[in-house]
Amino acid sequence: MASMKFYCDAERCIECNACVTACKNEHDIPWGVNRRRVVTIKDGEQGERSLSVACMHCADAPCAAVCPVDCFYTTGDGIVLHDKDICIGCGYCFYACPFGAPQFPESSAFSSRGKMDKCTFCAGGPEDDHSSEEYKKYGRNRVSEGKLPLCAEMCATKALLAGDADVLSDIYRKRVINRGASAFEWGVNQLKG
Amino acid sequence: MRIHTLLMMVCLLLSAFQLQAADPPPPPASLLSINPGTDLWREVRQRDGEIEGISQVKSPGANVLVNVSGQSWREYRMQELVPKAGAAILIVLIIIAIFRLLRGRIMLEEGRSGVKILRFTTSQRAAHWTTAILFVTLGLTGLTLLLGRKFLIPVFGAEGFGSIAVAAKFLHDYLGPVFMLALTWLFILFVRDNIPSPKLDLQWLLKGGGLFGKHASSGRYNAGEKLWFWLASIVGLAVIISGMVLDFPIFEQTRATMEFYHWVHSVSAIILIVVSFGHIYMGTAALEATFEVMKTGYCDANWAKEHHDLWYEKVKDSGEPVAQTQAQASPAPGQRESTEPSG
Ligand code: HEM
Ligand code: SF4
Ligand code: SF4
Repeated sequence: MASMKFYCDAERCIECNACVTACKNEHDIPWGVNRRRVVTIKDGEQGERSLSVACMHCADAPCAAVCPVDCFYTTGDGIVLHDKDICIGCGYCFYACPFGAPQFPESSAFSSRGKMDKCTFCAGGPEDDHSSEEYKKYGRNRVSEGKLPLCAEMCATKALLAGDADVLSDIYRKRVINRGASAFEWGVNQLKG
Repeated sequence: MRIHTLLMMVCLLLSAFQLQAADPPPPPASLLSINPGTDLWREVRQRDGEIEGISQVKSPGANVLVNVSGQSWREYRMQELVPKAGAAILIVLIIIAIFRLLRGRIMLEEGRSGVKILRFTTSQRAAHWTTAILFVTLGLTGLTLLLGRKFLIPVFGAEGFGSIAVAAKFLHDYLGPVFMLALTWLFILFVRDNIPSPKLDLQWLLKGGGLFGKHASSGRYNAGEKLWFWLASIVGLAVIISGMVLDFPIFEQTRATMEFYHWVHSVSAIILIVVSFGHIYMGTAALEATFEVMKTGYCDANWAKEHHDLWYEKVKDSGEPVAQTQAQASPAPGQRESTEPSG
């Protein structure tokens, strides 16, 4: 059984926000809702890094644990999805989520926030695959067509990776080894003077 | 083999010597940490408190990578609040059941006198019942959100409970602010006679309110009633303030703020709920001739004598509030309609 994951390589992300834009466009997401965002820390200082973040499809998902109506489910691919017909928009998943992934279309008085919306790993929702209801509520279902999430597919620097956790960690491990080797070489040269 | 090792040691020694002799500039910071990435992840994980970045996405918390309070809030709600709230409710119900078995229904010692005394005005009763109905509705809908997943989904299924939960949330969200008005009204009407009178109240408490044999003197309200009044007012204020913060998430409240007020709200709500069970039991099934007092506004003279003797002496002497003989006797003018049970 595959376990789908995102990984964002902080050494590669250039904060171009293309993933954010692609996601909004692909799923026709309303104003104010961003399933993905790029956060830059130490902006303008030494050690500045950017990371693109969305739902990380946790194995033991905190959102699912706290949801009062139990509307989350995990697919066979390890993708965490939810049922908007059951969601009451209480916001608890947003409080518990480590990554700030759950989004709400409105936050008006009387704690009405509308149905929660979040990254689906481009895997739609509980409606029939490719039905118009599915598209309206959850956006495009690319996974059922054998495609990966669009954000990662179009990332220009290949900072954002999406796919099976084992494959991703292999790719990343190779990158780290290469970087380690060149950093080491660079360091040795420095020491040699 | 051995030569190999020896050679390597010599090389190492030499290089160490050479390094010392050359006295090179200190290596750059990036080389001092084994993996420069660890600093980044330490920042991201925010072990030393929340670190904010920047993001083009503007919404509360969007500029924070990792939500540091999420896990503790999850643990609070799922491992503390849900089980402990359930246990507290169960324990209080069991205590009430045991008390019932031990004491049974407490009857008037001298039976009914047939004389009725005005105890609550119409507006006092209106404030009481408005607050009470709102409280029960808020309590039930709140508990639906809190415990429904455990107890109602197995009965109604996820879809069925979804509709119940939507209704519960809607009612809870909209009735909360009304409850705030009702509780304020109740407070204003009842506070005067709930001012503590330390000596009397202490005596009453030491005698266990007369529930276990000994007679305990009491004025208009006994110490137990006063305690409930002040608990409901003070903890009620906490429920109201925290509830209002949760109810209006339009002021860019952060997750940490919402989590804190959710904690205040849930703890104080559970306290009120369990204590209210005691109040409700005392006001209905526990004592003969008690429920009718808040229902009609009038109490039986013997009930007043037995439960609020000092108040009875006062109202009896002042002769003011109308002693009526039986319901069928002709009422004093203007008194009749308020003696009728009002819905
Ligand atoms: C001014 C009055 C009140 C207001 C404005 C208020 C508001 C709220 C709000 C906004 C929530 C969160 C619901 C959500 O986000 O879906 C909530 C939850 C809750 N409230 Fe209240 N409430 C009030 C009074 C009460 C009272 C009187 C009780 C109990 C007697 C109560 C018990 C609860 C409970 C048990 C929860 C559920 C907590 C959880 O699910 O973790 N509330 N309330
Ligand atoms: S919404 Fe948050 S908690 Fe839930 S699976 Fe996604 S990242 Fe994890
Ligand atoms: S907002 Fe919806 S999905 Fe999130 S916890 Fe509440 S009911 Fe569940």
